[in-house]
Amino acid sequence: MDDDEKKDMCPICKTDRYLSPDMKFLVNPECYHKICESCVDRIFSLGPAQCPYEGCDKILRKNKFKTQVFDDVGVEKEVDIRKRVSNVFNKTMDDFDGDLAAYNKYLEEVEDIIYNLNNGVDVAKTEEKLRTYEDLNKQLIMSNMKRNRQDLENFEQQQKFEKEMRLKKRQLERQIEEEEVANREWARREIVNQLSKAEDAEDVVASVKKTVKLKKSSARRKLEDLNKVLKNNPFMMVSNGMLKKKESVPFTPFNGDRDLQKRYVLSETAYHDPFINDLQNKREFIASGFRADFVYDRMLTEAFMGLGCMVIDELQTAQLNGIH
Amino acid sequence: MLRNEYTKEKRVGEGTYAVVYLGTKQSNNRKIAIKEIKTSGFKDGLDMSAIREVKYLQEMNHVNVIELVDVFMAQNNLNLVLEFLPADLEMIIKDQSILFTPADIKSWLLMTLRGVHHCHRNFILHRDLKPNNLLLGPDGQLKLADFGLARNLGSPQDLLTSNVVTRWYRAPELLFGARHYTGAIDMWSVGVIFAELMLRIPYLPGKDDVDQIDVTFRALGTPTDKDWPEISTFSAYNKIQFYPPPSRDELRKRFIAATENALYLMSGMLSLNPHKRWDSIKALTSQYFVELPEPTTPEELPKLGGK
Repeated sequence: MDDDEKKDMCPICKTDRYLSPDMKFLVNPECYHKICESCVDRIFSLGPAQCPYEGCDKILRKNKFKTQVFDDVGVEKEVDIRKRVSNVFNKTMDDFDGDLAAYNKYLEEVEDIIYNLNNGVDVAKTEEKLRTYEDLNKQLIMSNMKRNRQDLENFEQQQKFEKEMRLKKRQLERQIEEEEVANREWARREIVNQLSKAEDAEDVVASVKKTVKLKKSSARRKLEDLNKVLKNNPFMMVSNGMLKKKESVPFTPFNGDRDLQKRYVLSETAYHDPFINDLQNKREFIASGFRADFVYDRMLTEAFMGLGCMVIDELQTAQLNGIH
Repeated sequence: MLRNEYTKEKRVGEGTYAVVYLGTKQSNNRKIAIKEIKTSGFKDGLDMSAIREVKYLQEMNHVNVIELVDVFMAQNNLNLVLEFLPADLEMIIKDQSILFTPADIKSWLLMTLRGVHHCHRNFILHRDLKPNNLLLGPDGQLKLADFGLARNLGSPQDLLTSNVVTRWYRAPELLFGARHYTGAIDMWSVGVIFAELMLRIPYLPGKDDVDQIDVTFRALGTPTDKDWPEISTFSAYNKIQFYPPPSRDELRKRFIAATENALYLMSGMLSLNPHKRWDSIKALTSQYFVELPEPTTPEELPKLGGK
């Protein structure tokens, strides 16, 4: 009884749930001491302050307070640490190219870090390790996070697709059942009808049964198609295709379109154009970014432009590409 | 005869000197945009920007530059038939429902730089690069458009006007009124666009030309005699307020998601001194494009109107 009472009472302001049923308890990941919401507002709204528990000298901030999910503080703490670490160490098996040993080693390392943080072993050193890993692998972490999000999306889409398919299947099955009942009824009546006119009973029964069999309903055909679809499960193929790394052309910054072999070499000193060299010494020219070698480069490019370019060949390729 | 080759279907926009229609090329059912230049309003002949557009677009054929399909006259109006591109980068940046990944930004920047590189190696200055002029095709390809302010590098002693480029994307030498600038002014604009892609808001939004100088140097530091020796030639220089250049840490804080290589490339393109500013070749060969994540393929880039 005493324990239960304690559980529902804020140890700071002694309010209990019996008198104020809306009260909520919050904890701070610094020390996981339970404090009611109004106490948090009262004590921490003016900025960081010391934990009000006796003997606890942790400085807490209001924005770090959160609702406790697990009853056991130890579990709560470990879940928090796990979440934080796995946000940074978010590699999956795929990142190791199937090297199981390396992946296991990596998992072991992650578990070590979590254990150390949880049990206060070498905390400063482990934190440092976590931080350096985060700094070094920022790109990888971001891309993994993106991939995880995409995986989740794919999974949800697949679930939705399968649910829809199941629903459709059930509908078709019901339709088939109804049709079968109707068919049986029709066959019975047809036999009676024909028997009243014809004489050979067995012949009549056989021919009617045959027509019923031929009347394979469209619903049944649809169901068969659906089953085929489900067996192949197109969604799995789509999602695998999306995740597969694309075999692309290797990246080149100029898209392969760069004139590396110029027909001339720009000399640094060989040109004596007094007029242009003169411009290069004018202050307003230099200040705006003017450079004589730009001018020389341009003149040389223009002088050599079009050399070795056969108009006939160009026209032919243009025609091949359908440009006029 | 040619007139019947293209149909105008829908009017999509009107500028000061042109009306833009959506249309179809009859022979192959290709969607196109037709820019009809109003000749009647101009007593002294065609508008400059129309001439510039025809002049430079005819010369260039590159995936990242808008294609000029045809030019024809109809009812005394000049019509430019352009490739139809349904969106531009500004719309994408402003649409808050679209999320960018660092790979998307890299892909857009890559395509912009390839387009700029193509212009510059043909000695053409675009002079009006901004997100609004970077159009996006249905296949995700980014294309430089609006060559109404473009110009080729004339003879070296020609005076160029410094009153070019939309204000927020204007390089410091232009703000000071330089008359002999180079392709470096386009690279500056690309740098500002890169910053804007990362921030999702304009990086240097000056209220007017004077304010633009202030905003630019508050963000990037006032250049000194040491890093831009001839700067005092510009008459406007002596009147401006002095700001210290930002430290690496300040930039890192401003661009939280950027990697070191991204910041290095950005500050390269935003070098105040045009001599030190990176050209398109240096920018394209930067480490940023090689490091992970790989640039998104154009087809997979985010598009307007949901995924």
